[in-house]
Amino acid sequence: MEHVELLSEFSINLKDRKEQENKKIVAFMSHDNIPEELLDAAGIIPLRMSFAGSDDLMSASNDYLPASTCSFAQTCIGLYSSKPHHYDFLNLVDYFMVSNHCVSDICASEIITKYFDIPRLNFYIPYTLNSEALQYYKNELLELKKQLEIIIGREILNEDILKSIKKYNQFKKKLSEVQELSILGSQKLEIFQKAILYGPSYLNELEDIINKSKSDPVKVNNIKFDLIFTGCSMFIGDYLINLIEDSGGNIILFDTWIGHSYYSQVFLDEELERIQDPLELLVARFKNNELGDHSVSNFLENKVLQLKNLIDEHEQKTGKKVGVINHIIKFCDHINIFQTFLKERLQEKGIRFLNLERDYSRANRGQLSTRIEAFMEMMG
Amino acid sequence: MKTIGIDIGSLASKLVLMNDREIIDHRIDRSTYDFKRIGTNLFNEILEQNGLKRSDVYVMSTGYGRNSIDIADDRVTEITAHAKGIQYFFPEAHSVIDIGGQDSKAILISKKTRNVIDFQMNDKCAAGTGRFLEVMAHALDVPIERIGELALKSNNPAAISSTCTVFAESEVISLFARGTSKQDIASGIHKSIARRVAGMAKRIGVAPQLVFCGGVAKNIAVKQYLEVELGFDIVTPKHPQLTGAIGAALIAQEKLNK
Repeated sequence: MEHVELLSEFSINLKDRKEQENKKIVAFMSHDNIPEELLDAAGIIPLRMSFAGSDDLMSASNDYLPASTCSFAQTCIGLYSSKPHHYDFLNLVDYFMVSNHCVSDICASEIITKYFDIPRLNFYIPYTLNSEALQYYKNELLELKKQLEIIIGREILNEDILKSIKKYNQFKKKLSEVQELSILGSQKLEIFQKAILYGPSYLNELEDIINKSKSDPVKVNNIKFDLIFTGCSMFIGDYLINLIEDSGGNIILFDTWIGHSYYSQVFLDEELERIQDPLELLVARFKNNELGDHSVSNFLENKVLQLKNLIDEHEQKTGKKVGVINHIIKFCDHINIFQTFLKERLQEKGIRFLNLERDYSRANRGQLSTRIEAFMEMMG
Repeated sequence: MKTIGIDIGSLASKLVLMNDREIIDHRIDRSTYDFKRIGTNLFNEILEQNGLKRSDVYVMSTGYGRNSIDIADDRVTEITAHAKGIQYFFPEAHSVIDIGGQDSKAILISKKTRNVIDFQMNDKCAAGTGRFLEVMAHALDVPIERIGELALKSNNPAAISSTCTVFAESEVISLFARGTSKQDIASGIHKSIARRVAGMAKRIGVAPQLVFCGGVAKNIAVKQYLEVELGFDIVTPKHPQLTGAIGAALIAQEKLNK
């Protein structure tokens, strides 16, 4: 499905849900660790900003932030500033949540709430995992719950939060099955992107896709190399996936927020039975996330180990070499700062690695293509 | 069978005709907006002057315009092509810096397999490229061929802090306004290119023997300042602009021999 078609469909769907079910919509920057279950329990539709940029969107943001700001943050501001017609649904957003995943996130969210007159909600995440940090996280959950209760004019019941937690849990578990399907990386990405956009309301369609794919596996042809894609997410409408597949690469794992980092954050059944307080469950998930790139001090070592194990397993199973592409959206300091460490550590282990830094400009498509093709040639 | 490597760069198009490992003929011309036309013209010209037919040669294209050349039998990126091409001149080389019209690259070659094991490349920004030098030569009103020699006459290089082509041009104009000499400005410009490219190259751990190729390798000042920034001597091949095309022709040969 073309992204324009996806956005048009989503726009109609969101409008219907808002009007028919009288629901509010809360938007937030895509990669933030926002407890969307809490929003869902309040009868609010969470909307993750997960849209790729363009030259026009980035330049539309330059009245608010310099061009040396994260290209994704520029894109989010550009979407509000220029309001392209495929993004009409952004007009339906009732609140925008400001969180602190990174400086650009804070800046972009603050600008969107201030200059585009969207009421603001706050949810801040601690950068450590000690007991005080976990208490802080719980306090933030309580505070967010209070803010949401004021909006909806009623108490959010624990049983409703638990119900939402179980609903999202089931959805993410199902989504994780996509990983094992015999389909192209671009098809997996399309599913992940749609899942991020629609949330658990996409479950039935997702189950159909998975069942169909399992009963009728497709032989994936013209693939020279299998790849793991890490770093910044590939957002809706990004042409990068085409460049990778045109060069003969197939992404077998999206180790990004749109992909593994999202669907891997699930609760064990044992946890769901043992912990009755739903907010404590959310705290437990925050605590157990070993790959939390802010709060886990040795997350990079965990990531190196995770990637190495995945690659070894895949190579043993298929006999195919696996390379890693670390996607760095320009001026995303957060991912940028880790690039050398990650590259050195994985190269030490004999893994082919490419740091692919870029913005959303069409002008660098040629160079981007050269870097990807050269990486494939290097792998061969 | 003879092979032809065509390297269509953003500023220059290069073509090399080889028989096994011997260079029989070559062409260099300025690229136009029409990559296909310039590549085809050079190709037809070299065939005609060497009494060859299309079926006598296997063609490998490379460079920014590699996909625009429909006469090519196959394609390879300029990163792989340069890594192969420089080994024609320096078989033991371990590292490459290629500065072309639109981009600059640093490439690391495995001592064991002689293949590329890592590379860095600038993105759309023209800083540290041949285009940057062209804009600066224009701002200084000096022919591009002479700007390197001019830079080396300086005893007091001007500080060019900006690596952005647009900002650096403004900086050059303001240096003029302050009465700074042309050679001091030229020297500052060359140092800024060397600093930027060396920084990129160090990130992948380049080491001797390092081959400097691409059109900008003909500029003596960039070479000297790169040596200072890197802290070791570097070498340039006899035909620095042709290494991509030579590499493509050699890769074509390897493909035919398989």
